Amino acid sequence: MTQLVYLVPLFPLIGFLLNGLFWKSMPKKLAGIIGSTAILASFAVSLGIFFEVKNGAAAGQGIVHLFDFITVGNFKIPFAFMVDQLSAMFLLIITGIGFLIHLYSTSYMHDDEGFTKYFAYLNLFVFFMLLLVLGANYVVMFIGWEGVGLASYLLIGFWYKNKEYTNASKKAFVMNRIGDLGFLIGMMLTVYHFGTLSYNDFFAQLQGGIGAQTQNGYMIGSGMTNAIAICFFIGAMGKSAQIPLYTWLPDAMAGPTPVSALIHAATMVTAGIYMIARSNALFNLAPMAQNMIAIIGLATVLLAASIALKQNDIKKVLAYSTVSQLGYMFLALGVGAYVGSLFHVMTHAFFKALLFLGSGSVIHAMSGEQDMRKMGGLGKYMPITKFTFLIGCLAISGFPFFSGFFSKDEILAAAYAKNPMFYYLGLLGAMMTTFYMFRAYFYTFTGNFRGTEEQKHHVHESPATMTIPLIILAILSLVGGLVGLPEVFSHHHLLNEYLSPVVQNFDIHHLDHTMELTLMGIASAIVLIMMYVARVITRKEQFGEAKGLAKVLENKWYVDEIYDFLIVRPLAWKARILNNIVEQKGIDGGVNGLGQLVQWGSTRLKNLQSGQVGSYLFAMVIGIIIIFAIGIFGLLYM
Amino acid sequence: MKPLIATAVFAILMMFAALTVKEKKSFTHFAAILMLGLVGLNVWELADYNRLLASAQASPDLFGKMLRVDNYALWFNVLMSSCSFFYILLVGRSIEKVGVHVGEYYALHFFILCGVFLLSTYNNLLILFLGIEILSIPQYILSGSDKRNLKSSEASLKYFLMGAFSTGILLMGIVLLYGAMGTFDIHGFNFYATGTLNIMGVVGVLFMLVALGFKVSAAPMHFWTPDVYDGSPTPFTAFMATIVKVSVFFAFMRLFMEGFANLDPYWKVTVLGTITVLTLLIGNITAVYQQSVKRMLAYSSIAQAGFMMFVVIGSNAMAMKGMIIYAVAYTLATVGIFGVLLKLKDYTYDGFNGLAKKHPFLALIASICLMSLAGIPLTAGFFAKWFVIAAALEQPGTFWLVIFALVMAAVSLYYYFKVIMAMYFKTGEPELITPVTTMDKVVMAIIGSAVIVFGIAPDMLLAWI
Repeated sequence: MTQLVYLVPLFPLIGFLLNGLFWKSMPKKLAGIIGSTAILASFAVSLGIFFEVKNGAAAGQGIVHLFDFITVGNFKIPFAFMVDQLSAMFLLIITGIGFLIHLYSTSYMHDDEGFTKYFAYLNLFVFFMLLLVLGANYVVMFIGWEGVGLASYLLIGFWYKNKEYTNASKKAFVMNRIGDLGFLIGMMLTVYHFGTLSYNDFFAQLQGGIGAQTQNGYMIGSGMTNAIAICFFIGAMGKSAQIPLYTWLPDAMAGPTPVSALIHAATMVTAGIYMIARSNALFNLAPMAQNMIAIIGLATVLLAASIALKQNDIKKVLAYSTVSQLGYMFLALGVGAYVGSLFHVMTHAFFKALLFLGSGSVIHAMSGEQDMRKMGGLGKYMPITKFTFLIGCLAISGFPFFSGFFSKDEILAAAYAKNPMFYYLGLLGAMMTTFYMFRAYFYTFTGNFRGTEEQKHHVHESPATMTIPLIILAILSLVGGLVGLPEVFSHHHLLNEYLSPVVQNFDIHHLDHTMELTLMGIASAIVLIMMYVARVITRKEQFGEAKGLAKVLENKWYVDEIYDFLIVRPLAWKARILNNIVEQKGIDGGVNGLGQLVQWGSTRLKNLQSGQVGSYLFAMVIGIIIIFAIGIFGLLYM
Repeated sequence: MKPLIATAVFAILMMFAALTVKEKKSFTHFAAILMLGLVGLNVWELADYNRLLASAQASPDLFGKMLRVDNYALWFNVLMSSCSFFYILLVGRSIEKVGVHVGEYYALHFFILCGVFLLSTYNNLLILFLGIEILSIPQYILSGSDKRNLKSSEASLKYFLMGAFSTGILLMGIVLLYGAMGTFDIHGFNFYATGTLNIMGVVGVLFMLVALGFKVSAAPMHFWTPDVYDGSPTPFTAFMATIVKVSVFFAFMRLFMEGFANLDPYWKVTVLGTITVLTLLIGNITAVYQQSVKRMLAYSSIAQAGFMMFVVIGSNAMAMKGMIIYAVAYTLATVGIFGVLLKLKDYTYDGFNGLAKKHPFLALIASICLMSLAGIPLTAGFFAKWFVIAAALEQPGTFWLVIFALVMAAVSLYYYFKVIMAMYFKTGEPELITPVTTMDKVVMAIIGSAVIVFGIAPDMLLAWI
């Protein structure tokens, strides 16, 4: 099965080509079937691979070499796939959730004129995402990395006639490019020092630890590892929306909701976490970078959660909650709890996809309305959506025994072991999470309907193709946490055992059981309290003008405005100067001057061509004499 | 040596045909068939030679060591005869229009090919001389074949006068080399036979350099080129600028690689480098100013000769590869662009205005060919330049020479893209003098796609060497 791994990205590629090339003549129904079937086929292969990998296969064994991509002297970059526990897990998440979302999209996008195009893009995204996680070296990962960026750009701006949406897609692209530059520099540093970009080769060299010799003859120093790790982290920052490069993700909600669920919640944004978890051998040798990751992750948790408190657009709430949850994952990576981070990637993929699809169902019922102030009391009309959304809220809040409870608990416990301060701040984030999620839930599904009569008339439960994915994801959100039971409950942390050949937690002290139970108790109590607080506050249903801090939160801490003032405007100003003076006068002047010089020379040389044989022969003889002179004088230096 | 004999026989056949056949068109058909036969004979020769060599029945030396055949030379002959075949298919209609003696024109082409085959396999300076003369004399006639046109007659006379001058120099060089070495065999030269450098031999080398430089229109022996190329009937210009020129380069490279191998490399780079710099400079800079595309192509052929000088400078295994790729890339692209030019009434840049709107196919082929000449990646011209530069870089002290050549290649973009710009971005009513037939389209498509295919996989051209 492992040898067939190329099939996994091949199916979505075929789907993309079919839908992309024949979009004009393709009937809608067929486009949906092609798109979904491609992903289902990939999922089937992925399942086979998963079980094969689970039952053995040591790390680094599953390299599937397809062809040599770049060969420069001794430096080779093969186009190879790496099939191991980590990539198999991501394969399942991508193709599994991907399939559910494709299925959901067939209904959600049903009335859209760009239906075929939509499925082509979505398959393209899945193809690149699979490349990203399957690559056996950073270059293949980077191809996928850029590819998902492209697909994300195309899908955010899917309704390209709206100027705001295209601006959002541009913003996402540019922000990502800033991060990508960091990733690229990191790769170049790696090549320079280690002479390789293949995981196995690179990690094997890192095995030696600080002070060992690399292939290129450099000594591994903490400066070097920190520099590379920080560069990689900057790449992750862009893709996974961390401070300071997070502002694109909330704007990315301009895309269709299933896209937000798949790309901007469940899969693409976790690419940064995958990359760091994959490179754990490097990050373990870079303590400074790790601290930086933990602190930035934590700061992102708090900032994004605080913004989510006052958002009124249901998708914006979810978007900021995604940023905040990604922050938790980075916090975990920073403290060395790689497994906890990947655990949260998985559970988050379940419940966040669920929440987004649920919100999509609501938006679909409300004919495109996203403002929670115009909703209310929808629970009566759409019970399945309500119920599954509630499960999502409980899971993300970390309500006891839901999936988010276990994964978040693991992260917080590891943070506590590293530094209790991390724990308290993390807990503050969790408090806010519970509040804003239940605020959204109550505003949407309970109380009185606040929209227009026409909308009220139209509200309905979504069709089965939309509710079935919701139900499946709800079940997963409910039980998904069982693969990572904490030590208090069970000695078998299934995920940890499964991932142990590839990724192992690093430098984590185990808390004693009483301490762990206490922490869990505190967290659970806080969830219950905040749920109550949310209920009390939302009951009033007052949407007055926000004042003071609330206004600052509603305006997202004015981060976009600050970026505009600090970065965009000075850059634009410099660009104007460069354009007006350096470019037009300096470079253009120089180039044009050179051109004029050539033309001037041309007119002179043209005069040599007089048309007279006599003068030709004369010039030739002169030339020959010069050649002889050079030839004979040249002999003196022989 | 079946193809060599065949060229002479075919030429005589063409002349006999000229006595009896009246229909002009049948000459072209006849010539195309004979040329295809020549390609076949060359392929056969190549295969046969390998078979005989494998069974140790053949010796590379023929006619008492006058000729020396190897895979490399035979493969070159295959390529050149194939290019000639496409040339006839593409410009045959235009050759019929030059004058009344169509049969003779084709006969002269076959005689030229006889010279080409001699030049690719010579092992003796006498054969080199013979080859050069067999190659040149038909050209004097061809360039004057449009008898009523004053420019054509002028071109013919100029070419002949200056050609005679260079023949004298060539003979002088051969004589000095014979005097110094006591042999005509190019493998028998040793400039250090007596322990010290043989000065008379070196002077002979310089004479040979000047004479061969004249034939490939290297500066400062290039003065005949613009006038002759511009004055000659356009189809013959296409032949002279391509097949003939690269064949002389082939001989030039072999002389320096095999004959003058033990000369000091620094000295060779200095002398050849001087010529290269002058050729690149004059060719490129003067081409910028031209108003007529035909005359621009004449200067461009000087500029390209500057690049081909690198194979002579290189004179190594890489240069041998570069020679083949450059020969094919340059010949195909130039024949292609001349093919388009021949369709047009007006040879100035303005004549190309708006061609892309009216005849998009012609414009596309012309663009591909021009980009190949300029050396844009994904065309054969890119790898041609790449190989010859790589070959030159293996010699000492060529770094700045290469930088200079690259700057000049940048200048060449100006005049090549001026044509593309005229075709695509300007408006005008280009007039055709002959309609574009299906045959033309097929041949142009073959040439265009060959340029691109060899630009992706240049190794295909090196399969036989």
